[in-house]
Amino acid sequence: MKITFTLNDETLTMDIKEDIRLLDFLRDELGLTGTKEGCGEGECGACTVIIDGKAVNSCLVLLPEIDGSEITTIEGLSKNGELDPIQKAFIDEGAVQCGFCTPGMIMSTKALLDRKVYPSDEEIMEAIEGNLCRCTGYYKIIQAMRTAAENLRKANE
Amino acid sequence: MSFRVFMPTSEEELQRLLSERSCILAGGTDLLVKMRLKRVHPDRVISLRHLEGFDTIEDLGDSLRVGCKVTMSELLNSDAIIKHSKILEMALREIGSPQIRNRATLVGNVVNASPAGDSIVPMLLSNASLSIGSAAGERVERIDDFIKGPGLTSLANGEFVKSITFEKTGDFFPQFHKVGQRNAMAIAVASVGSLISESEIRMAFGSVAPVVVVPVEACKYYSRSGESFDEDRFVELAMKSVTPIDDVRASSWYRTTVIKNLILRTLKVWRKRGYDAD
Repeated sequence: MKITFTLNDETLTMDIKEDIRLLDFLRDELGLTGTKEGCGEGECGACTVIIDGKAVNSCLVLLPEIDGSEITTIEGLSKNGELDPIQKAFIDEGAVQCGFCTPGMIMSTKALLDRKVYPSDEEIMEAIEGNLCRCTGYYKIIQAMRTAAENLRKANE
Repeated sequence: MSFRVFMPTSEEELQRLLSERSCILAGGTDLLVKMRLKRVHPDRVISLRHLEGFDTIEDLGDSLRVGCKVTMSELLNSDAIIKHSKILEMALREIGSPQIRNRATLVGNVVNASPAGDSIVPMLLSNASLSIGSAAGERVERIDDFIKGPGLTSLANGEFVKSITFEKTGDFFPQFHKVGQRNAMAIAVASVGSLISESEIRMAFGSVAPVVVVPVEACKYYSRSGESFDEDRFVELAMKSVTPIDDVRASSWYRTTVIKNLILRTLKVWRKRGYDAD
């Protein structure tokens, strides 16, 4: 099956395997291993990517379904060797411990901050409702999300 | 996994593809999990992704119609839902996570027919009916007839659910209480949804019987009793429709206790509406 999609700002037309998940395609076929597999059933959010502006679990997307869509993975965030302000905020706030949940957390943060300039704490917590972290206890992640929002506002001033 | 994927663009094309060994993929949040666990093994997966239409929320006057492609996030962003079906909004907020709600559809959750299906509760309370299409034409079935058992529906080979239509319930006082193991992502241990007015109560329970159930006798008692309404009597009648099981999430005993408390909480919140309930 031939499909066309945009991945991290690059438009691709490819002959694909039909019966695999987007997650497998990203990791195994394209070598984009920043997207992690945790539970494989949509519970943990480690595999979160953004499709057409919305955070989704790439383990629950069948590959042909991305035909015509725009996809952003964690690899698409840094530009010209510079980290994205969200990535910087996670580092600055020490929101990364083992790091396995981090790409998913960052993609959920991006999906939120792309549509909300001033997110409330409630909106911040709701945005990562579907992302599990077993190290940090979430407080540093939430703080990093607040800082990221602030940094993005400053950058756009 | 080994199967072919089809992406029909028209209803006719979709109907031609439906067969005994096919599965329809709407949001995929249930189907992909089931396929991975090898609980279903279709030869063909029919994706609704390129199907034209079926993606709107229509205002039909007294009711709303939601197409089979409409996601839970789209419903939560709809002014019509917020205004006319607060109870659906409340239930959808309890489902999964943003990632799940961005893909999962309302129709998909109903067709899945889980006893814990959070959106089935408001659909029962709103007298929903499903529009079911096939090569033979279209039929309409009430949701309580459509759901036959845990994971079982009346959907026959070659049929698919086109849309769900349900009453506007803006005149009622809505409540949705759910107890799970944690707030986000939790499948209900027990849930109680209700729509209450001075003269009528509608109530439905999730996760405490093989299907989402309505305590019919208790609801009739509420309308009949008027001034002489007795809370204990109501609970006693309501509990007749509760037949919980022990499973991985909770014991039968715990579910029985929880549901009783949720019914009492529902009545208390209604009594103290306008004031702080607790």
